[in-house]
Amino acid sequence: MQKIIKLAFIDFKLIFRDPSLYTFLFLPTLLFALIIWVVPYLVGKYDFLEPYVPLMLIVCVVENTQMFSFISSMVLVDEKESNVATVYGIVPFKERQYLVSRFLFPYFFTVLLNIILFVVQPFYHFDWMNILSISLLAALVVPLYALTLNIIAKNRMEGLIYVKALNIVVLIPLVAFFVPGEWSHLFGVFPTYWIFKSVENVTQGISAGLMLGIGFAFFAGLIWFTSRSFLRRHFM
Amino acid sequence: MIQVKNLVFQYPKNDGPTLKGLSFEIDKGEIFGFLGPSGAGKSTAQKVLYKIYYDYQGSVRVDGKSLHDWDKHYFEKIGVGFELPNHYLKLTGRENLDLFATFYPNGKKRNVDALFEMVDLESDIDKAVETYSKGMKMRLNFIRAIQHDPDILFFDEPTTGLDPVNAHKIKQHILNLKAKGKTIFVTTHSMETADQICDRVSFIVDGELVVTDTPKNLKSKHGKKAVKIELANEQSKEFPLKSLGENADFLSFIKQGEVRRIHTLEASLEEVFIQVTGKSLKS
Repeated sequence: MQKIIKLAFIDFKLIFRDPSLYTFLFLPTLLFALIIWVVPYLVGKYDFLEPYVPLMLIVCVVENTQMFSFISSMVLVDEKESNVATVYGIVPFKERQYLVSRFLFPYFFTVLLNIILFVVQPFYHFDWMNILSISLLAALVVPLYALTLNIIAKNRMEGLIYVKALNIVVLIPLVAFFVPGEWSHLFGVFPTYWIFKSVENVTQGISAGLMLGIGFAFFAGLIWFTSRSFLRRHFM
Repeated sequence: MIQVKNLVFQYPKNDGPTLKGLSFEIDKGEIFGFLGPSGAGKSTAQKVLYKIYYDYQGSVRVDGKSLHDWDKHYFEKIGVGFELPNHYLKLTGRENLDLFATFYPNGKKRNVDALFEMVDLESDIDKAVETYSKGMKMRLNFIRAIQHDPDILFFDEPTTGLDPVNAHKIKQHILNLKAKGKTIFVTTHSMETADQICDRVSFIVDGELVVTDTPKNLKSKHGKKAVKIELANEQSKEFPLKSLGENADFLSFIKQGEVRRIHTLEASLEEVFIQVTGKSLKS
C-alpha cells in the first residue's frame, strides 16, 4: 500500500510542476460556475432551453471526467516518452499495483467532482444512491481514456492529437438524444452512452438500474482489455 | 550464477531473430562483458535477462532457477543501469531515487546522500533532473541501479555520455562492486571499458557470439609475440620475444643509438575484435 500511495503522490507532484497539466485542474471550477450560475440564468431567460437541461447536465458530468482523463494520459505518455516506464518494468511491483496506483486518486477525485456537481446543480433532486452510482460509473472514463490513449500514442505530440479525437468520441453519444426511438441505442457502442442514459433516466424519474448495470459491465470489459494491451507495451 | 543456453529472441515485427542461439555463463563475482557494434544484440540479450522481454526460446537460469520461474522478487536481486538516462525530469535527483527505493525492502537500501556523494552529485541532489547534463543523468542512472544493493547488476554502455574523469570513476565503482562479490554483466562497444573492467568478454556480431575469453588471452592469442624498438634517430625494428636476451641482432640494434621506446606488439581488444569478426566496433 505504501508503494501505491507513494507513486500516486508522485503523480500529484508531477502535475503541480507542469503548467500544461495543473491548469487543467481549474476545469471543474469552470463547470461548477456554469451549472450554478450561467445555465440557470440562461434557462430562466430563454424558455426554449429548458428541454435541454438534462443534456447540459450530462455534458457537465462527462466533462468533469476529462480533467483527469487528460492529466493521467499525459503523465503516462511523458513517462513512456522519457523511458521512465522501462524502470517500472524492472522493479518488484506488480502490474496490478502499478495500475491501481496510477488511477486510484484520479478515479476517486473524479467521483467526488461529480458528486459535488449533482449536489450543487439547481435543477433536480437526486437521491444519494443515484448520485453515487452515476458518479462511480462516470469516473471509469478516466482509466479507460488514459489507457486507450497510451496504447495508441507514442509521445506527447501524438498524445495531444489523439486527445482531440477521444474528446469527440466521449461526446458522440449526445447525438443519440436527437435520434428517434430505439435507433438511439445504436450509440450504445460508445461506453459514455450508458452514462448519458443513466443521467437522463434519473432526470426523468425512471430507474437507471439497467443502464448503470450495462455501463459498469461495458466499462469493466473495456478497461480489462485496454489494461492488458497497455501493460504489454508500456514497460518495453 | 547465470547460465544461458541457445537463447533465441525475435522482435515481433522483425523477419528474423535478433539473438541467434547465444550460450554463455556468468560466474558469481565476475564482470562479464558483451562487446559488439551497435545493433549486434547486446542490449536485447540484457533485456531478456532482466525480464523486459520474456517471449524467448532457449534456457536462461539464474541461481539455478529458470528465469520463467522467478517472480517479482527477481527484481530485488538485480539492478539495471540503462543505456540512456530515464528519469522524471520535473522531480529532483533525490525524489527520483526515493521513488524507486520505495519498491525495495528497507533493510538493503543504501544511503541516498552517500550515493550522490559517490558520483559527485551531492550539490545537485535537490535540483530538478531537467537541469542535469547528460553525464549527470547517467551517473544518476548508475546510483539508481545500485541503491537497493542487488547481487546481479546489468550495465548497458555504462560510460556513454561521461567525460573521461567520470567514466574512470564509474569503472572504478564497478570494480568495487565486483570486489564486494556482485555479479556484473556489462554491454559496451567501448574496447577500452571492456579491457579495463571485464574478467571475460564475448564478441557479439549479428546476434551470434563469436568468441568468449579473458581480454588478456584474446590480446595475447591474436597479437604478435614480439617487441618493437624505436631509436632516437627514427630507426625502428621488431624482434621476437623468444630468447630476446640472447638475440644478437637485438643486442646490436639497441647499441646503435639512444632507445626512445620499447613496446610489446600485443594486439588491442579492438584489433582482436576486427581480426576475429571482420567487423569494426564502431559500425
